[in-house]
Amino acid sequence: MTNAIELQRGTAGELRDVTREYGGKQARVRALDGVSLAFPEGTWTAVMGPSGSGKSTLLHCAAGLERVSSGQVLLAGQDITAAKDDELTRVRRRQIGFVFQSFNLIGSLTAEQNVALPLRLSGRRVSKKEVRAVLASVGLADRMRHRPRELSGGQQQRVAIARAMVTRPSVLFADEPTGALDSASARSVLGLLRGMVDEAGQTIVMVTHDPAAAARADSVVFLSDGRIVDRASRPSAREVADRLAALEA
Amino acid sequence: MFALSLSTFRERWQLFIGAIVTVLLGVALVQSSLLVLLAATSHAEAIVLVAMTLGIAAFLAIFIVSSTFAFTIAQRRRDLALLRLVGGSRGQLRRLLLSEAFLLGLIGTALGVPTGLVTMRVQSWLLTDLGFVPSPFPVAWHDWILAVSAGIGIGVSQLGVLAASRRGSRVRPLEALRDNGNAARVMTGARWFFGLLFLGGAIALAIVSQSVNVDGAIPTAINVSLCGAVALSALSPLVVPLVGRLFGGVFGRTTLGGLAHANLRDGVRRSASTAAPLLVLVALVLGMAGALSTLSAAGHRELAEDVRGDLVVNAPVTQPVPGVASASTEYLLPVTVTTGSGEDEDHDNSDALAVNEADYQQAHRIAPVSGSLADLHGMTVAAAGASLGDTMRLSVGGQDLRPRVVAVLPDSVNGAPSLLLPREIVPPAALGPARTIVRVQPGADPAAVAAALPQPVSTVDEWVAASATEQDSTNSGIMTVLMGLAGLYALIAVINAVVIAAAERKAEFAAARVTGLRRRQVVWMALLESWVVVAVGLLLGAVAAAGTVAGIASAVGLVSVPWGMVGVVTAGSFLVVGVTSVWTSLSATRPAPVTLIGARE
Repeated sequence: MTNAIELQRGTAGELRDVTREYGGKQARVRALDGVSLAFPEGTWTAVMGPSGSGKSTLLHCAAGLERVSSGQVLLAGQDITAAKDDELTRVRRRQIGFVFQSFNLIGSLTAEQNVALPLRLSGRRVSKKEVRAVLASVGLADRMRHRPRELSGGQQQRVAIARAMVTRPSVLFADEPTGALDSASARSVLGLLRGMVDEAGQTIVMVTHDPAAAARADSVVFLSDGRIVDRASRPSAREVADRLAALEA
Repeated sequence: MFALSLSTFRERWQLFIGAIVTVLLGVALVQSSLLVLLAATSHAEAIVLVAMTLGIAAFLAIFIVSSTFAFTIAQRRRDLALLRLVGGSRGQLRRLLLSEAFLLGLIGTALGVPTGLVTMRVQSWLLTDLGFVPSPFPVAWHDWILAVSAGIGIGVSQLGVLAASRRGSRVRPLEALRDNGNAARVMTGARWFFGLLFLGGAIALAIVSQSVNVDGAIPTAINVSLCGAVALSALSPLVVPLVGRLFGGVFGRTTLGGLAHANLRDGVRRSASTAAPLLVLVALVLGMAGALSTLSAAGHRELAEDVRGDLVVNAPVTQPVPGVASASTEYLLPVTVTTGSGEDEDHDNSDALAVNEADYQQAHRIAPVSGSLADLHGMTVAAAGASLGDTMRLSVGGQDLRPRVVAVLPDSVNGAPSLLLPREIVPPAALGPARTIVRVQPGADPAAVAAALPQPVSTVDEWVAASATEQDSTNSGIMTVLMGLAGLYALIAVINAVVIAAAERKAEFAAARVTGLRRRQVVWMALLESWVVVAVGLLLGAVAAAGTVAGIASAVGLVSVPWGMVGVVTAGSFLVVGVTSVWTSLSATRPAPVTLIGARE
């Protein structure tokens, strides 16, 4: 079933036999060890694993934030393995969006300005209507003029999602997007992401600890010691929790 | 991008107010020194002083503004990384930082120009009050000075951020995601390069220019101090951890001491940036005070060694007095020395003593380098820095004299007259104030002899002490003019750096408090840290000052440490930085810690 979808759809991003090592000669740490993983267009992939399993490194490498030691990284049909800073900047502007556990909004800017920032940085004309439409789509039409500190955690995360989505990226990378939220806010943020995949065909790659969050994704990849050790398609939260518990045992 | 600059401005006002203050004061000081310099062109003594003041002001403006701007950029690494993450290019980040610096430079200049008018009043009041220029001393305003002020304010702030913005734009986007990420390497190649370059320059200057007179010594002292200060502040990231370790050995066992020690090790850049202006202040003040005090001590010693007598009379002694073995009456008179001819003809004002050679030799021990004072009769002269047998062209009391050099005097440290003329060739009208050095016959009662002499009479010891006091008060006048406002500027820069450093630490302090520290303990920890930074600044500043004094000291063969000034500077630094640190950390810990924890926007 999953394979059929993958054949029909293109691939938004892909890791091919990626290895990432840290440290010097004495203390080499392999954060990723021969990982191959494709992110089909219009699907939501969750990456799970115990702490230190290499989840965040995988996300950073797939987004071109970190260089890989060996292997290949593809993003929107482009090989970014050895891309120069200028190219990576262009990729960040057009192809990818980021959402983080700690929102990472710019405190001095209003919600509206935060959302418009990526457009401004890429030198595009900023249409107020467009920015408002994006903010309205995350349910914050009435919070446009507020600064991040005047918003709740859930609202800040929605602004961050709006900021990531305003450039219509090929892939949205999310690092523990619900990690700092209460369960109600987390549910609504996850619902928002699910809607983006179902209705607009958005590709999402999400790292998470939370089985409930992973259960909303189309497929879940389990990572341990830098290797992919298990996969699941549309699992329930309980299944995810059980497999994770098995890994950590 | 400009809108982003503006809104960042609102958010990070401590950083930006700090930067504006440094630009403002730099502009004010340079502008006013320049205007006063133009007004002082006809006063030889003042013009040198004001020129040096201008040099110090320009140096401080460049040094302090650029180091403050670099510091504010370093403090914002996470913000910059975040901009990179959402699609900012390196060029955009540089443009952002440069346009911010432009805005700050503009505001600083706009405020600095009127402040400069106030500064100008203070400077010209200092000069008249200390007697370097006659009163009234009008200083004229020139419209073109606005261009200079804008050049200093905007130009220096742009130059200051140029290097820092390049470094800032290299921030990797990933650093936004890591709390303290791989903090930037502090000891950059540029730091090594400039540190070693200026260190070499300072050492070379100190060795080469071992000036033994006041006129040459002060500019040299300033140059060595400034070079040394630049060198050591560039290299200070190497020294901060060393002193930190020393401190760790002393206080490391207490909980707060250990914490402060760890923070110091972690925040090398912060410590180095705070220590930099203090270092410059200490190097300049102590370097100059040490140079002047060493020269003054050497002059004092020279005078005491030279004079052979018991009493000094501030009048001529012409009649024989019972009990007097010898009396050398010496008249001080101004002369004009002409050198060169045609285009190169130069006239120098100098002081001479008109003496009787035989009496003079009885009263003074220091012998000529070559020639003999016994030949000082007729149209002759004894001079320092002349060649034996040359003919000098002098103008004395409006009369031209062409005496032959019969003796070459050694260079003097104490500013004593460098020319001796035989009494008989000087027109009586040209003779200035007289003093007579008297030797009492063995066995005679000095008190009785003193009573018989024209009054006032003082002992030689009293007279030497009085002339040393006079020299010291001239020196302190020079210090006040040179360092008064510049020192204040550097002091404000020190306070500024402490405030900027604390502004970024709210979350860190809050974390310490939720870990179990009381507010008072956090404040105390920050105070300990800032005192170690003061110690680093004082230590390095003292090293630069010592290098300055060493050159002069080795030339005159003695060293005089201005302990009073050392004490004032040390106590003042600890006090000022301590109070600032307590104030900033109190205000940073005012909100309940929980509201600050994880408040990363």
